[in-house]
Amino acid sequence: MSSHDNMPEMSLYQPVQVEDAIGIATELAGRGWLVGGGQDTYGWLKDRAKTADALIDLKGIESMRGIKETADGIEIGALVTLTEITRDPIIKERYSLLAQAAGRVASPQIRNVGTLAGNVSQDVRCWYYRRGLNCYRAGGNLCYADTPEGMNREHAIFNASRCVAVTPSDTGPALVALEAQMVIQNASGQRVVPAEDFFIGPNLDIRHTTILRPGDILTAVRIPAKWANATFYFEKVADRNAWDFALVSISAAMRVNNGVIEDSRIMVGAVQATPRRLTSVEQAIRGKPRNESTANSLGNLASSDANPLNYNHFKMPLMDNLVKRAVRGQA
Amino acid sequence: MDIIRYRNNVWGEEVILGVSWDLLWVVAVTAFLLLAAHAIFMAALAKKKAKPSSEGKRVNRHDAIDRAFHWIMAGSVLTLIFTGISPIVGIRISWLNIHWIAGLILTFVVIFHTIRALFWQDFKSMLLGPNDFKEPFDESVKPGKYSFEQKGMHWAMTVLVIAVIATGLTLFTHIDSPWWERPSVDNEGTLGIFFLLHGTATLALIAFTAIHIYFALRPEKRFYTRSMVTGWISEAEMKENHDPSKWKAE
Repeated sequence: MSSHDNMPEMSLYQPVQVEDAIGIATELAGRGWLVGGGQDTYGWLKDRAKTADALIDLKGIESMRGIKETADGIEIGALVTLTEITRDPIIKERYSLLAQAAGRVASPQIRNVGTLAGNVSQDVRCWYYRRGLNCYRAGGNLCYADTPEGMNREHAIFNASRCVAVTPSDTGPALVALEAQMVIQNASGQRVVPAEDFFIGPNLDIRHTTILRPGDILTAVRIPAKWANATFYFEKVADRNAWDFALVSISAAMRVNNGVIEDSRIMVGAVQATPRRLTSVEQAIRGKPRNESTANSLGNLASSDANPLNYNHFKMPLMDNLVKRAVRGQA
Repeated sequence: MDIIRYRNNVWGEEVILGVSWDLLWVVAVTAFLLLAAHAIFMAALAKKKAKPSSEGKRVNRHDAIDRAFHWIMAGSVLTLIFTGISPIVGIRISWLNIHWIAGLILTFVVIFHTIRALFWQDFKSMLLGPNDFKEPFDESVKPGKYSFEQKGMHWAMTVLVIAVIATGLTLFTHIDSPWWERPSVDNEGTLGIFFLLHGTATLALIAFTAIHIYFALRPEKRFYTRSMVTGWISEAEMKENHDPSKWKAE
């Protein structure tokens, strides 16, 4: 695969209204490519591993910017950058889980231009796929990562279905933990989808990581007040502290009263193609004190039904330990 | 429109990926048009014949175990077709496990049917002979237990089902299952040929399944469908459509 300094020749649309963007996206369907910050897009296009007839640059749409309070929480425009999320006072005060997750994405330069919508919609980071090989996800007949010789250290330990790539999003698990709602618009109107249903695995659609179809635009993310000011825990383990994707990340939201965990939502990233919710852990800690003893009592509950590949068994104890740290409340 | 899909393998060589799914729409539209044309012809132009009574003495046509086989096979084939084409047409269901489980069920019932047909049933009644080919052109020639069309459909489905089973089982060995882990693929081109054969046989199976369902629902054939549920046809229906000297019915 050759990499190019220049972009391939293609048309560029720069709508300033969502309705215009939807019209263009609907007309172009699979030949158009929505771009916000472009941090996932430009690599694909410059590597010529994917192509499009036209780019639909959404950055001129003002209605998709800004963070505002609503009757039940907040609404974050899809084009809000990750840096803006880390600095927003409301998010920092009430939903610090999201601010922490956004703050651990890639590097400051990327966070300055990368958007929330882009972070949750980005494609997987399997290098066989990214290199342009014709694997299942690229429309082919096989997976190069899930073979006896495949390099699969960063790949899935749960719910692989032919493709073993994992979700690379840091903010995705945090949004699911916060029970966020994804606002999607298309030519038929608007629909609001729980973040938990926004991400889809290869068993449902091996070519896509989200429910977005051609003509759909993620215009905003709503976070309800339910988990505002809850007790949060976020931790991301990666090979490097900056500009790297998670080996495993954890996003936990808990309601703790007098030291007792009344309710929780615990999500893990980078262990399967979608953010993984640990309902068994949530049930196990409900009504228990938030301390070392409760954390230790979990044992390997989180990873008990993992199905690791040749080179990623390490993700199981890593995940179990991150869960324990989230439950006891300290790294 | 392509007939076959090609891709470059890991070495940059062009290899077969499978059948082009553009053909799915060709098959669907062609089958619909042909069946619609037949329906219009039958309604407008065909000679109307009085339907024989379903009352009176009954003749056993299908034993319960054979009816069960038929409906299990029908269910598994329809499940296989639906789960197989759902990702192609954009229906998001977790299809793969359902697909191979239905495929295994189909394999087992076909093995069962083959053994039963060879040793416990009148296998010869399903064989096509030279006289069978006279039936469509001479109304005075009546069939034994199975008509020319029924035998033709049976053997077409036999060939197609064996083709999808053989290629499907081969492809099954290339995905993770409860009994083995996915192996490395030495030759992407060979794998592509199996996908091509599986896809081609599937397209033909879709066409023949549509034809089969259409004729099962046609008014003048519906007593056969009833017999696949209840097991019997009336003696009047038998005499109108079959030659009792060729079919020693119980």
